Amino acid sequence: MVNITPQFPQPFLPIGFGLELFYTIIIVVFCFLVYFKTREIYELTKHRGVEFFRYAFLFFGLAYASRLLIYMAVVGNLLWFEPFRGTRLMLPVSHLVMAYFSTTAILFLTYSTIWKKFSIEHFLMFSSIISLFVSVIAFISMSPLTVSLIQLVLLAVTLIFSLKVKTNKRNHMRALYFLIAMFWLLSLFVIDSPRHMPFWGDVTLQAISLIVFFAIVYKVYKWAK
Amino acid sequence: MGKMTKKRDRLEVIFDFLRIIQDNQNSIKRTPLLRRTNLSSQSFSEYFDELLKKDFIREIHNNKGRRYITLTDRGFRFLSKFKMIRGFIEEFEL
Repeated sequence: MVNITPQFPQPFLPIGFGLELFYTIIIVVFCFLVYFKTREIYELTKHRGVEFFRYAFLFFGLAYASRLLIYMAVVGNLLWFEPFRGTRLMLPVSHLVMAYFSTTAILFLTYSTIWKKFSIEHFLMFSSIISLFVSVIAFISMSPLTVSLIQLVLLAVTLIFSLKVKTNKRNHMRALYFLIAMFWLLSLFVIDSPRHMPFWGDVTLQAISLIVFFAIVYKVYKWAK
Repeated sequence: MGKMTKKRDRLEVIFDFLRIIQDNQNSIKRTPLLRRTNLSSQSFSEYFDELLKKDFIREIHNNKGRRYITLTDRGFRFLSKFKMIRGFIEEFEL
């Protein structure tokens, strides 16, 4: 007889899930705050750098929100949860959406700092093709680790371009952008191999990540009062 | 306005363009504006069309049918926020 009751092969920690939920909500709120708070600056200037910067945070917010769905399914083992039970496509589609949003976010954030030196005429089409490619791989493999490795390569390539652009050594913004992208990649590792990340390691990662996002939001609010 | 020696970026040109209009009691004819912006005729026309399109400036006619350029509310808003916009773009290295 087939056992159809939900199985819990790994311990499900309600506190861990609560922290993950809290962390995601705060990050999504931070990302949306950056997006909405920079709207006036963009509308007044139509500045390309500002445009890609704010869309990068919008996509990061959406990526973190879709990551939560996968976290609930994989780490919380909530495959019996109604949205996942309703259709077999729910989980692969969540992977696809998460990969698309996050790849676009990384590409947009990098491009916002290098567009003056490396102007790509059809950047939107270019980034959409790359993001679609990564999301199709995510849909097929359903492996956050694979997505994070591809994004790591992308990040390394964009970093090389970024290093060729003169930076303002006083405020280290590009270091913060790099950290944001790295925290995203690590967060993918956490949902791919939750057993390899101790609870305290996950919490430390979330805390530092929140500090970095807060630093960005604080700076945005400082200027766009 | 003093003679500009440094190459201005797009935002600075727009700021100078709008500030000249504002400093002239918000009413200036096209030819003196062209002269004082220190732009070539072609660049001037491009910026002029862009600012008209973005609703930063508008052209009005006086009772003698002469054309004057004035700032819109949006143009005034850009001028008042320019320092903040510039600071933001520099701080975030955009």
